[in-house]
Amino acid sequence: MAAVKETVDQVGELEAYKHGFVTDIEQDFAPKGLSADTVRFISAKKGEPEWMLQWRLEAYERWLALEEPDWAKVNFPKIDYQDSYYYAAPKDPASGPLSLDEVDPEILATYAKLGIPLREQEVLAGVVGAPKYAVDAVFDSVSVVTTFKKELAAVGVIFCSMSEAIREHPELVRKYLGSVVPVSDNYFACLNSAVFSDGSFVYVPPGVKCPMELSTYFRINAAESGQFERTLIIVDKGAQVSYLEGCTAPMRDINQLHAAVVELVAMDDATIKYSTVQNWYPGDPVTGKGGIYNFVTKRADCRGDRSKVSWTQVETGSAITWKYPSCVLRGEGSVGEFYSIAITNGRQQADTGTKMIHLGANTRSRIISKGISAGKSSNTYRGLVSAHPKAKGARNFTQCDSLLIGKECAAHTVPYIEARNGQAVFEHEATTTRLSEDQLFYAMQRGLGQEEAVQLLVNGFVKEVLQELPMEFAVEAQKLVAISLEGSVG
Amino acid sequence: MLSIKNLHATVADKPIIKGLTLDVPAGEVHAIMGPNGAGKSTLSYVLTGRAGYEVTDGTATLDGEDLLSLDPNERAARGVFLSFQYPLEIPGVPALTFIRAALNAQRKARGEPEVGAPAFLKLARETAASLKIDFDMLKRSLNVGFSGGEKKRMEIFQMAMLSPRFLILDETDSGLDIDALKIVAAGVNAMRSPDRAMLVITHYQRLLDYIKPDRVHVLSAGRIVASGGPELAHELEREGYDKYGKAA
Amino acid sequence: MSLSTALRTGDLAELPSRRDEDWRWTDLRGLIRKIPPAYVYEGTGLAPEIMVEGQAGQIDFYRSPFNANRTVRVSNGMVAGLGLKEPGPLVFDRHDPVIALDVTNAGGGFSVHNRLTVRVPHGLSAVLLESHAGNGDHVVSFDLDIDLEEGASLERIVLVSDHAEAIVVRQSSVTLAATASYAQTVLTTGARRQRLETRIAHPGAQASVRLDGAYLLEAQRHADLTTVVTHGGVDGTTAQLTKGVVRDQARGVFQGRIVVERGADRTDARMRHQALILSEKAEIDAKPELLIFADDVQCAHGNTVGALDEDAIFYAMQRGLPSDRARAMLTAAFVGEVIDRIEHEGARAVALAWAQQQLGEL
Repeated sequence: MAAVKETVDQVGELEAYKHGFVTDIEQDFAPKGLSADTVRFISAKKGEPEWMLQWRLEAYERWLALEEPDWAKVNFPKIDYQDSYYYAAPKDPASGPLSLDEVDPEILATYAKLGIPLREQEVLAGVVGAPKYAVDAVFDSVSVVTTFKKELAAVGVIFCSMSEAIREHPELVRKYLGSVVPVSDNYFACLNSAVFSDGSFVYVPPGVKCPMELSTYFRINAAESGQFERTLIIVDKGAQVSYLEGCTAPMRDINQLHAAVVELVAMDDATIKYSTVQNWYPGDPVTGKGGIYNFVTKRADCRGDRSKVSWTQVETGSAITWKYPSCVLRGEGSVGEFYSIAITNGRQQADTGTKMIHLGANTRSRIISKGISAGKSSNTYRGLVSAHPKAKGARNFTQCDSLLIGKECAAHTVPYIEARNGQAVFEHEATTTRLSEDQLFYAMQRGLGQEEAVQLLVNGFVKEVLQELPMEFAVEAQKLVAISLEGSVG
Repeated sequence: MLSIKNLHATVADKPIIKGLTLDVPAGEVHAIMGPNGAGKSTLSYVLTGRAGYEVTDGTATLDGEDLLSLDPNERAARGVFLSFQYPLEIPGVPALTFIRAALNAQRKARGEPEVGAPAFLKLARETAASLKIDFDMLKRSLNVGFSGGEKKRMEIFQMAMLSPRFLILDETDSGLDIDALKIVAAGVNAMRSPDRAMLVITHYQRLLDYIKPDRVHVLSAGRIVASGGPELAHELEREGYDKYGKAA
Repeated sequence: MSLSTALRTGDLAELPSRRDEDWRWTDLRGLIRKIPPAYVYEGTGLAPEIMVEGQAGQIDFYRSPFNANRTVRVSNGMVAGLGLKEPGPLVFDRHDPVIALDVTNAGGGFSVHNRLTVRVPHGLSAVLLESHAGNGDHVVSFDLDIDLEEGASLERIVLVSDHAEAIVVRQSSVTLAATASYAQTVLTTGARRQRLETRIAHPGAQASVRLDGAYLLEAQRHADLTTVVTHGGVDGTTAQLTKGVVRDQARGVFQGRIVVERGADRTDARMRHQALILSEKAEIDAKPELLIFADDVQCAHGNTVGALDEDAIFYAMQRGLPSDRARAMLTAAFVGEVIDRIEHEGARAVALAWAQQQLGEL
């Protein structure tokens, strides 16, 4: 795991947002603005079949009729959807992922700088017995490379870019795309359906335990462009997969929109573990200028009996985050989990949480949310737990804790609980406190510096969630937590 | 008194009791010992009628009357008392209120007159004193905020107040220090009489130093695999359950 | 957007609907198709007291469960017994700081709207024994403004027995001065649609609030207990406990919001909501919110929704209690926690009897 180690070291050196560099390469852009022609341009650029184009155009038509939502506790100036690029790609990447030798060295250097191992040997050269992971690297609007495809294919696992999946596995894409998040589910999901560029596609066949971690690394590079990735993961009966996504973007002083859609489908006895480390550029900590608008729709359909989906997220970046990774617990005895660390500092605003929708009998869910607000930021947990009349024996446990650091931040907890039958049991606990001065003093009396003491206490606060991350990412996430809070005390 | 014949019971469709036969005559104390997971607590719940414990075969009678078809409260009214391994907390219901309601419900079911408040309180005071229970504790919500030892003592207090005929003690010694154990054992021993019988379920021999059994049975994998006198308990303490575990 | 505005203007568009975030579980716009005419007294020209006395027969269906030397009656919207010219505030006085407020609505097909003001003067400890009852399919809007001066304290106990077909919105706005204390217990059996809302402007400043309630619902009744407590200054406490019991196809709603404004440090605010669903088709919706803009705070909320604890029922049955007795005992004990927190002894006894009767009917 040399590469990851390097990442960790690199992250450790950071004092502020260090993923904020720009890669200087030639890029292809769609004409600025959004119209049916933009949609056609994107579809043509990707060499998509007619059915896909029609699907996109229909989404675009519906989007025109929708209104931008305003219920989240976030404030931002009205987005001008005509003042953005909806497609940006490294010049001439042909269509879709290449062999590594063909990828622009500048891009490879970018990922190396970010600590993402795109060369399989980098991973292989690691410690013997250390877990391997495969990477799909998405650079602005296209996937530039996907590693370990052959090894995965040997056990029947399909792991490729969405563009490739549309071409190579149209039957799977047509069957499942939009089946979890319908086209017009919400404003941003609908926009994504019209203009989505790339993302990852995973299919794990029945009974297969995916032999390695899968991950996608999203990078927004181009200025004034949005990223609209689309990820679809289907795990068949009795199969298992663990998937991780990471995100960064350059520091730019204009806001950029990231409106992704992630759909997960779990069949009988299938297990999906989906982890996110989101570190988009949060904007200038003092002026609040720039940063990513992270408006994401993530949903899992636990279609099968005894299926299980576990979302784990570490949200430290973005100017505005608006996302609720959810589980529709349809299958009998299916299980949904949500573990979240959301950290806001500077002028960041986050409105995030989950929805656990209990439809089937004996479904269970568990929510552990740890929110930390510092600086002048605002951090809201918003979550829905509902049990429908047929969800006899449904169980939920929610623990929602907020930590405040500083006088000017805000922490909100907004849970919605809807119990529609007499055999559901829901429990919810929430606390909001500030960092304990007694504990801080205690740690400092033992010789820790103030920043170290804060880090120590914060790590204790979020530990329950960090434990849910794949080990190698937990270390990275822990560093990220520390960095995100630097300068928040004093 | 208690007679169990070829009892089979399942929990969530999983067989736990698999052909258990046992007779406990009036006036006797029988101990049931066995490794964890042998079905000891299941036996106590089957005998008292807890939901989710399905009897699939066999019989259990008290003085010839079938127990298994009765509701838990009907069994209680016939004198079956279970001292729980983990007594429940009942917020908002003072211990005295709870016990008086239970006592009078049992008496009503047996066609006996209710006990009036003065007589009840007198009995409660005397019983509490003998078990070294602070009377004020009885005015608090039942078991809420009580320590493990206090809860066990409260079980014995209820036992004494309700005066049952057939007593089942499920791991009553767990969570008790030696002084509390002596008090509890004294309370139980005071209940011994020619017309009562007891089933003492325990993992350890320790309790049996204080509550001397007439017979000791080894329960393993849902069956009685050995029976003997009090010496059997000492043998188990020395040699462990391994030999019975394998036999099953 | 409120029922009172809709009643005043006759404009259905003023009715709150489920699209309004704070009314998502208590839709009025979809329910009220036509605004019923305001109740009109025929015998005009009489003092309100006399008019009410004159209608005594009409309110016979109900008698306030509370006894107090001073009683203010509001009957079908007409106020009597204020001892002041309308619409002057109801002011507690030192000699007899206990007032019963007895609100009744008799008959159906009409709407009424009331707005009353209550003031507790500086340093006085007062008790407001409030009861609401109705026997028809009327639409009622009732606003109460409560003003506590510095060092004043008020305990308010509200028993609500509305008609199954009534549509009712009662909103109380409570303003506390420094070091004032306010304690409220609302007990209700719901209505066709019923919103009981309390908004508290909490100054911090050693002022304290206890905000309790219980809804006991059967058949197709609905009750919505909504509270908003806004801590505007340092050193305030709020303790909140709401319990609910629903059965049949009843629907209970709890929305609790605690806001701690910037600078309102050393706020200690705790909110708990617990509900029992006793039948297959009953529903509970809850939204316990904490909105915190200050950092030196201790805030917590807890929410549990579920059936009675089967283990506890088995335990009680093992001791000899029949199943329905065991369930009744556990349910009563569950609600009892709210009633035990009532400080005024007489009111606590009345509330207990009231709740036992409702639970007996449940």
